[in-house]
This record gives sequence, structure tokens and C-alpha cells, in this order.
Amino acid sequence: MENLVKRLGGRRTARRILIDWAFILPQLILFFSLTILPFFIGLPTVFTDRLSFVDTDVEYVGTENFTKILTEPGIKDEFLPALGRSVRFTLLNYVMVFAFGLSLALLMYEVGFRGGFFTVIYLPMMLSGLAIGFIATMLFSRSTGTLNLLLLDLGLIDKAIDIKSASGLSIILPLLAGWRYAGFNMAIFLAGLLSIPTETIESSIVDGASYLQRLVRIYFPQMIGSFIIATIFCLIGSFNIFDELVALGALYGNQEASFLSIVFFTYGFQRGRLAVGLTMALELGIPLLVVGVLLQRIQRRFQYDT
Amino acid sequence: MLNNTNVNNGDLVSRVSRQMRISRILIITFFIAYTLITLFPIYALFIRSFVGTKHATDLWLTPPPLEEASMDYQWGSLSVFYNLDSEKAKADLGIPADAYIQSRWTLARIAKEYDIPEQKIKDYFTPYSVYSGWIVLFTDNKFWPALFRTILITGLSLFGLNILSIMTGFGLAGLRRRDQMFVFNLYLLSAVVPLMMILLPQYMIVQWLLNLIPGYGVSGSTIRNVSQIAAIVVLNIKGGALGTMIYTGFISTIPKELGEAAEIDGASILQYFRHIVLPLLKVPIATLTVMVLPSLWNEFMGPYIYLDANNTTLLPLIQSYTGTYTTNYQVSYTGIFVSIIPLIIIYILFRNWFIQGAMSGAIKG
Repeated sequence: MENLVKRLGGRRTARRILIDWAFILPQLILFFSLTILPFFIGLPTVFTDRLSFVDTDVEYVGTENFTKILTEPGIKDEFLPALGRSVRFTLLNYVMVFAFGLSLALLMYEVGFRGGFFTVIYLPMMLSGLAIGFIATMLFSRSTGTLNLLLLDLGLIDKAIDIKSASGLSIILPLLAGWRYAGFNMAIFLAGLLSIPTETIESSIVDGASYLQRLVRIYFPQMIGSFIIATIFCLIGSFNIFDELVALGALYGNQEASFLSIVFFTYGFQRGRLAVGLTMALELGIPLLVVGVLLQRIQRRFQYDT
Repeated sequence: MLNNTNVNNGDLVSRVSRQMRISRILIITFFIAYTLITLFPIYALFIRSFVGTKHATDLWLTPPPLEEASMDYQWGSLSVFYNLDSEKAKADLGIPADAYIQSRWTLARIAKEYDIPEQKIKDYFTPYSVYSGWIVLFTDNKFWPALFRTILITGLSLFGLNILSIMTGFGLAGLRRRDQMFVFNLYLLSAVVPLMMILLPQYMIVQWLLNLIPGYGVSGSTIRNVSQIAAIVVLNIKGGALGTMIYTGFISTIPKELGEAAEIDGASILQYFRHIVLPLLKVPIATLTVMVLPSLWNEFMGPYIYLDANNTTLLPLIQSYTGTYTTNYQVSYTGIFVSIIPLIIIYILFRNWFIQGAMSGAIKG
């Protein structure tokens, strides 16, 4: 009798588990076939000379594509400068994460959480990437940029900043990205700050620690989780930047806006160099993936530690 | 002696608290300044939607005044400056549609040629000096359908994503921790895989599937347009770490006794899901909705790749206003401004939800 109950119970649990999987599967199948599968379909293509999605004459070429990216003049001359632009943008964007997000979080922590300020600071998160690109043009176009005209009027600059120039774009775009993600990053750092036990902070104040000492000894070590999250988001986001660049005319010949994402895109969709485009994406995607996963592992360990 | 120390201490405390008060005031002042700076680009965008190409090299911090149209304007430059739809303008002014107007003809000459009162022409073109962006945008017969498609795709995606993610969360909550983590880590992968690595093969798969639909190949057909929109929605609802995390976390906290009680009362799993779990999920539904809404509304690349030009959403349409040759940015600025307004209104109305979402997302990472 006892045995029967156990068996029935076991069967019921098995049935329950099947039902649970039935609930999970619809989305998991979609996710698998549209995110995981594409990766494994794309993988073999990098060893071929496939030109487009409808190419019928596809041959195996070994690792030729990997060397082509770095050696073939036409490709190299586009890939390497684009790589440079993307890396420079990522680094500057990373600086902006701290210049905007961390500074704002530290300041807000001192005066207490203010919903009103937070609402406004978070507002640019509602803007599209395309809007950011157009706003960059609107503010910093050489002869018509509103901010250019304003700063010239006030005498703060004596020469207009040109969004179409290499130096203009490489400064303005990270600044606008910093402005857009200020609220997002501030939330990450503020969450880290708010999770610090107030007793440690109070006792450090009583012991006469200066603000700088408090930052370095108390705040930052307990915010490592926040630093890692902000780093992952910045890294992935910076390399994925696309819409902003399209708005700046990257697909219509604005060389300075031709970042890696644009090069992948044009090779894959417009130029008929599908295999080369995929190879580029893979060569950069894999290191990014590894860094992302590693950082995530570290972050989780910190979560368990605390 | 004792008394003396006390006085000193009191001094110190008041000095420190004065310092703190001053730094508080400084920080608040800084925040006021920063919020003004934050709002400036959006305000400037609004103003620039009224500034025509002719006046764009001047600084405008308020909309420029209306300028009466001059009869010396040439027809050709009007269409350049104002993005004028010349077919529509001809119809509005009562000029025969098949009439050929040379681009060098002035308005005065057109008035004489077609016997139109000068005042009528002036009245017609004067608003264009300031409102040309708004007029062109709102009279563009692609604008309203594009806005409708944006709302449709956003709405369907929100609905589908919530339903599928709730199902995922419901299923996962019942599984063992090990299986839970396996599925969750799969979804987490999508947060770290660089978009470009899967974009191209994903396009291949979706195109292959779309071409299986009979009649998809006919350009402009309803079946093609509907399937393309469906493809975007499916791509939007395929799920990710965020929805899985929110719902698994929340549903796991629902007491097991509730399920057992329902079972004893003879409720099926579906009835339990529909009548007991779903009504409890108002908070996580609101959280996920506000967290994904901006990215759905602002999606550009998906519609840009998958939708035909006559079947597109708002952002690709606005992007198409500035092609290789056009230099008239007024329409684009107006379009961009119009595209951000609905979301900003929703943001302000539901700001508490958005901020809660931002903060809880930041804690969980």
C-alpha cells in the first residue's frame, strides 16, 4: 500500500515536471531557434566564400577569411580603422560611465534619494539610438548646430565643433551616450551604495575619515558588484552601437561613423561579402563573449560572498 | 575642565553640521543645473522642429516668427527648403495635376499663369516658413500608417512577451534548482552574445521561414506585410534573461500550499495558472513592461532589416527622410521629436514604476 502511494506520487511528480516543461518550451523553442541556432549556423559559413544569403556557388576556403580581414587591402583598410573607432568609443564611453553615472550616484547618496532629480536624469533613457544620432547632428553640426551656435554666442568656444569630423564625433558621441545612460548607470551605482551597511559608514565618519578615504576604503570595495555590472553593460553596449551611427549617415558614406557594427552590417547585407562579415563579427564576438561570461562569473561570486 | 570640553565639542558639531549644510546646498544646486542641462537637447529639438533650412544658421532658443511668403520665391527652391510635395501643393492651389511647372518659375509667375490670387498663394506658403516640418510630416501619407504599425508591434510584443515569460517563469518555478539554472543561463547568454554575431544568420533563418509562406514573394501584398510584422513580433518575444528572472523569482515566492489547495479543490494546472497565479502577477507584469517598453518602441534595426519601405515603422521612416541627397533636416527633427513624445508622456505618467524598475534591475544586475 505504502509502495503504491509512493509510485503514484512519483508518477504525479513526473507528470507535473512534464507540464512544467510544456510551459517553458514555447518560449525556449523560439529563443533557441532565433538566438542559439543562428550562432551555430553562422559558424560554418566563416570557412566558406559565401557572398550572400542566396549564394548557390559556395566553396570551402578554410581559414582564408581570417587572414583576409587583416591582409587584403580593400577589407583591411575598412576593418582596422573601424576597429580603432570602436575601441576608442568603448574606452571613452567607459570613462563616461564613471563621469556621469558614478559621480551622480555619489552625489545623490550624500543628499538622499531624490525622485524628482532621478526622473529627469533617467529621462534620456527613453530616447532611441536614432534620436541620439539626430540630436548629435542638431547640436553639433558645423554651421547649424544649436549648441555650437550657443557656445559661439557665449564666447565659450571660438571654433564650431564638427560632428562630421573625426575628433568631433569621437568626443560628442561618448558624451551623448554618457548623458543618455546617466540615469541607468546612476541606478546601478546607487543600488551598490545603498546596500552598504550604514554602520560602517557612520563609524568611519566618527573615526575622522576624510571623504576620499571613505570612497576608497569603504564605498568602492563594497560596490565591486556594481562596477562589474556597469562594465559588462558598457562593453556590450559600446560594441553594439548601431542606430546612432545610421542617423549620423554611416550607411550613406560618413566614413567617421563607420564603426565595427556598421562594417559587419554592410559586408553582410549590402556588399555581398557575407562570409567575411561573419568572420569579423566572430573574431570580435568571441573575445567579448568570453570577457562577458567571465565578468558575470566574478560578479556572481561577489554576490554569494556578501 | 569638563565643562570646557563640552563647549569645544559643541563647536565642532555645529561646524561640521554647517559644512554639511553648505555641501548639501551645493549638491542640490548642481542637480538643478544638471537636470536643466539634461532637458536642453530635448527642448532644442522641439525648437528646431520650427526652424527651416533658411534660418538654421542662426541661433534659435524660441520658435522663429512666421515670415510672409515672398512672390519672388522660386518653385524649385520651395520644394528644397520646405520638402514641399509639389503634387499636393498643385492640387491645393487648384493647378491642374498634369501642368508642368518649371523649377525656376517664381510664385508671381505661377499666380499669373494659372490665374490664382496672390494672397491665396501667400496664405498657402506662409505657414511653411515655420511649420514646414510638421506640415510635411502630418500630411505624409506614410506617417500615420507607420505610427500605427509602431503601436501595433509594440503592443503585440508587450502582450506576447509577458504571456510567454510568465509561462516560462511558471514552469521554471516548479523545477529543481539545477534545471532552473540551466535554462536561466541559456537566456542569460543572450545578454552577453554580441548582437552582430547572430544578426546575419538570424536574418537567414527568418527569411527562409518567411519564404515558406505562400504569397510572401508578392511585394506589397497583405500576406507579405502581415508576415513581416509577425516576424518582428516573434523576434521581440523570443525572451531573455530579464523576463525569465522577474517571473521565476516572483512565482517561486507563491506558497506551494496555494497550488495544493487548488489541486484538492479539483482545479487543473491551467485553471490554477489562470485563476490563481495570473491575478497575483500585476507587479511583475508592470515591472517587465516598463523595462522593455523603451527598447520595443525605439527599435530601429529589426524593422529596418525586415520590413519593406511601404510597410515600415516610425523610426525607419524618419531615417528615410534624410537620404544621400536631402539636406532638409527640419522634417527629420520634427519626426524624431514626435517619435519620442508618446514614450516620454508614458514615462512621466508612470515614473514611479520606471524608477522602481531601474533600481530593482540595478540590484539584480
